[in-house]
Amino acid sequence: MTQTKEQHLSASGIPIKEIYTPEDAKDISYEKDIGLAGEPPFTRGVYRSMYRGRLWTIRRLTGFNTPEDTNKLYRQEYELGQTGFSVAPDITTCVGMDCDDPRVSADVGHSGVPLCSIEDMETAFDGLPIEKVSTYLAEKHGIQTAMYFVMAEKRGVDIRELRGTTANDMLAWTCVNLSNQVPPQGYLRYAVDFIEWCSEFAPKWYPVSFDSYNARDIGVNAAQELGMLFATAIQYIEEEKQRGRVPLDRFVRRFSFNTAAHNDLFEEIAKLRAARRMWYKIIRERYGIDDPRCAQFRVHVQSSGSTHTTQEPLNNLMRIAYQVLAGVLGGAQSIHANGYDEGVCLPTDQSMLLSIRTEQILQYETNVTNTIDPLGGSWYVESLTDELERRTWEYIQKIEDMGGMAKAIASGWVHNEYKKAAIERARKVTSGEVPIVGVNKFRAEKEPYKVPIFRPDPQSAQIQIKKLKRLRKKRNSAKVAEALQKLEEVTRRGENVMPATMEAVKAYATLGEIVNVQLKVYGEWPFPIAG
Amino acid sequence: MAEKKVRVLMAKPGLEGHWVGLVVVSKALRDAGFEVIYGGNMTPAMIAKTAVQEDVDVVGLSILTANYMQLVSETLKELRNHGKGDVLVLLGGTIFEDDFPALKEMGVAGIFIPGTPLEDIVEFVRKQTSQVAQEVS
Repeated sequence: MTQTKEQHLSASGIPIKEIYTPEDAKDISYEKDIGLAGEPPFTRGVYRSMYRGRLWTIRRLTGFNTPEDTNKLYRQEYELGQTGFSVAPDITTCVGMDCDDPRVSADVGHSGVPLCSIEDMETAFDGLPIEKVSTYLAEKHGIQTAMYFVMAEKRGVDIRELRGTTANDMLAWTCVNLSNQVPPQGYLRYAVDFIEWCSEFAPKWYPVSFDSYNARDIGVNAAQELGMLFATAIQYIEEEKQRGRVPLDRFVRRFSFNTAAHNDLFEEIAKLRAARRMWYKIIRERYGIDDPRCAQFRVHVQSSGSTHTTQEPLNNLMRIAYQVLAGVLGGAQSIHANGYDEGVCLPTDQSMLLSIRTEQILQYETNVTNTIDPLGGSWYVESLTDELERRTWEYIQKIEDMGGMAKAIASGWVHNEYKKAAIERARKVTSGEVPIVGVNKFRAEKEPYKVPIFRPDPQSAQIQIKKLKRLRKKRNSAKVAEALQKLEEVTRRGENVMPATMEAVKAYATLGEIVNVQLKVYGEWPFPIAG
Repeated sequence: MAEKKVRVLMAKPGLEGHWVGLVVVSKALRDAGFEVIYGGNMTPAMIAKTAVQEDVDVVGLSILTANYMQLVSETLKELRNHGKGDVLVLLGGTIFEDDFPALKEMGVAGIFIPGTPLEDIVEFVRKQTSQVAQEVS
């Protein structure tokens, strides 16, 4: 055996052997730890037939400029064969401010689509068959979804039949520095209210997609990623357990997840396999829930934006293809392939097409979907799956010892983890320990080529402000005030806020007005990173 | 006479929330001996006020959205209005190369896109601030 001094580590710091043998998987029981797809503990896949029964959904998170422009884009995506929409709100919408708020002047229409009112939502989905497709809304905890639901009602589509997902995730939304946010405990309240409401009135909707994508992109490793993800899910369940309003099996039945697909191919595959087994254990062993549907870790993955470089952007096409492949071999239900120009700008039409094609080529040309969990039984992948699981349980325990995820976020501990990880990654990039081709390895003296760039329309803010002014004039302001008053009352009384939110949306209350009610009750959360 | 440390304000104009670049560059500058005031997300007016209060020599801005032309121009205007038009302004983030000349014309001294080695940024600040010191003396 050749010996080198250098230790080989996975991206998450797990020591990797030169070669794996049955010895490395001898403690793994096929019956107990692996089994068949669609059967507990679901290590090999959540569904019995996996991709033979149904290919993963090609879903790209998009939105830009205005609801009008975004609608055109969604129509194109639909024609290209995209099977689900995925709405990225602009910065203004993410922070919960209206387009005519003086604080947002530069941010309207950037990084997503502004959705200040139900009017904007209706414009964005004009002419699109919401009764047929499923829509993912990358939003905080139900306000945009209330707009989507009211839109469906107005179109005569039964909310009970609507398919889609709301992010509704405390982890992802607290990663980035967003002003105008309620503290984690307030976040948890709204999130759990939304799930309770959906479990009764929108049973086909996925009311939460626990999302570790952003955390991973900041720099934490795969075990931390899964640890934070599950600690957040556990926190939600604990909250409902304490409330006792909805039986837990119904509460968790449509939980879904969203992770990153990072660079370390086998570790990412092992990560998804470990996650499925762990979620099964959490549901079955910790909470004693028998319904196997509740224990299915349904996951959307997205190629990791932080791995995409600004230098030689076409190289990102290769990175994205490998990351998507990891998602497929890991058994994801839905995948977003980033635009290769992620490190440069919002995707151009061409890069958007390429990312859809990347997934379609994998689906139709490579035969990777022919058999389920093709790497199951590999001594390496099984032992890596086990090791990641072990490290993740340890991390979850750490968070639980602090009193759970909401407290761990509120105390600043989670953000300190992010900060340490980000600085550590920067150090490793500087030292060359993390090689990045075209950046710190084989760097070209001069950028060898340029790619087309996308520029948002600078007129978006003006267009949106005009529409919003018209709406404010047109609507019945007494009715709006009454709806907001009612919303504040139910919020203070601790009742589920969704019915009152729907009423406010129906009365054409704006996003900013609804968020202001939240801030009035809970106050604004100071972001815990201060340099 | 004790050498006065060069003071740097690091801030993100606008509401976009990606903070990693700002934190990582702040750390690198601090490690290199600069006095760093971490501002986080701030309005252009707040940046200017803080630059005055903290008497900084350098303002580092980080922007990862395509609205940097507007945000940089507003920030520079506020700095001038607050009598701080002479600070060294740096910009980091996803900035299109085609816009470099216009930004430099506006008054941005250095532009650093993702993937720039941290030591290049540190070196740039060191060089520029020592030049300023020489011109003053």
